Amino acid sequence: MEAALTNSLLIFLLISALFAVHFRDHLSAVLALSVFSTSMSVLFAVYQAPDVALAEAVVGAGLGTALFLIAVSRTRSKRSD
Amino acid sequence: MIKPLSIVVLVPLAVVLCFALSALPTPAERKELGIASKHIRAHGVNDTGAMNLVAAVLFDYRGFDTLGEVTVIFSAVASVGLLFSVRRLPNTSEGLSTITKRSIGALVPFIFLVGFYIVMHGHLSPGGGFQGGVIWGSLLILLGIVYGSRYAEGVVAKESRTVMESLGALAFLGLGCVGLFAGGGFLANLAAGYPRGTPGAITSAGVIPLLSLMVGIKIGAGLAAIFYAMVNEGMEVDNDA
Repeated sequence: MEAALTNSLLIFLLISALFAVHFRDHLSAVLALSVFSTSMSVLFAVYQAPDVALAEAVVGAGLGTALFLIAVSRTRSKRSD
Repeated sequence: MIKPLSIVVLVPLAVVLCFALSALPTPAERKELGIASKHIRAHGVNDTGAMNLVAAVLFDYRGFDTLGEVTVIFSAVASVGLLFSVRRLPNTSEGLSTITKRSIGALVPFIFLVGFYIVMHGHLSPGGGFQGGVIWGSLLILLGIVYGSRYAEGVVAKESRTVMESLGALAFLGLGCVGLFAGGGFLANLAAGYPRGTPGAITSAGVIPLLSLMVGIKIGAGLAAIFYAMVNEGMEVDNDA
């Protein structure tokens, strides 16, 4: 059961990482990266590292996404000039 | 043009990583702990009074490393502020719709409380100053996005963010220096005479909850400062367009 959960999370991690690299649209890439961070944080929790899981969840999925989004929106408005 | 080069670089890297992966210890081999892990597992609670041994390592055994991390964030905030400080115009953002404002408004106290809980229970359960501080910072960022940066500026002004960040760092240093004056060495915990309390109680583990709170305040204010520096720069671009 746990092995199945871990393996599916690892595969999901790989898929979201590939998508984050593959997307031409920066917004979609940032969102794929956020999905990557979320599954990474669940994986940390499964591997019994709750401290790291918490840090990954708040930094990777929350704050990092917010900073990336603001950077994407700002560079986009500059490019459309 | 770039493709052959990237293949030349990436394929050897993949091979090296595969070898490294196969060299990792299996779960059966990992049962054997290192010297430091053994010591911390055996004496950690007794040495520091903290139930969460990760917090014990972060704020007691390796408190000096945490000071380094805090300094890294401090210099990052300082450099972002320096980079984006040129020609800043006033904020004009109006925020999102009324529905969003009301529903997020009901959540804000609870998000703050979760952050506070994670900071203050750092020595008892997973979490600590850094994680809780990021939640506080995200709360300030959420306020800026939902209510508009002008309103968020009214809640916690730019000056108070800077003051909170610097005070957090200085208080961390000050608490460390107390250990120095008490004869226990820089960032000493129980050796500096901080009370140990009952391990598992909220008032235990000596200086660890205090250090955690200072790091939380510092990180929260600092990360919000980075965000608002970037947002304000963007406002300037919008007005130029």
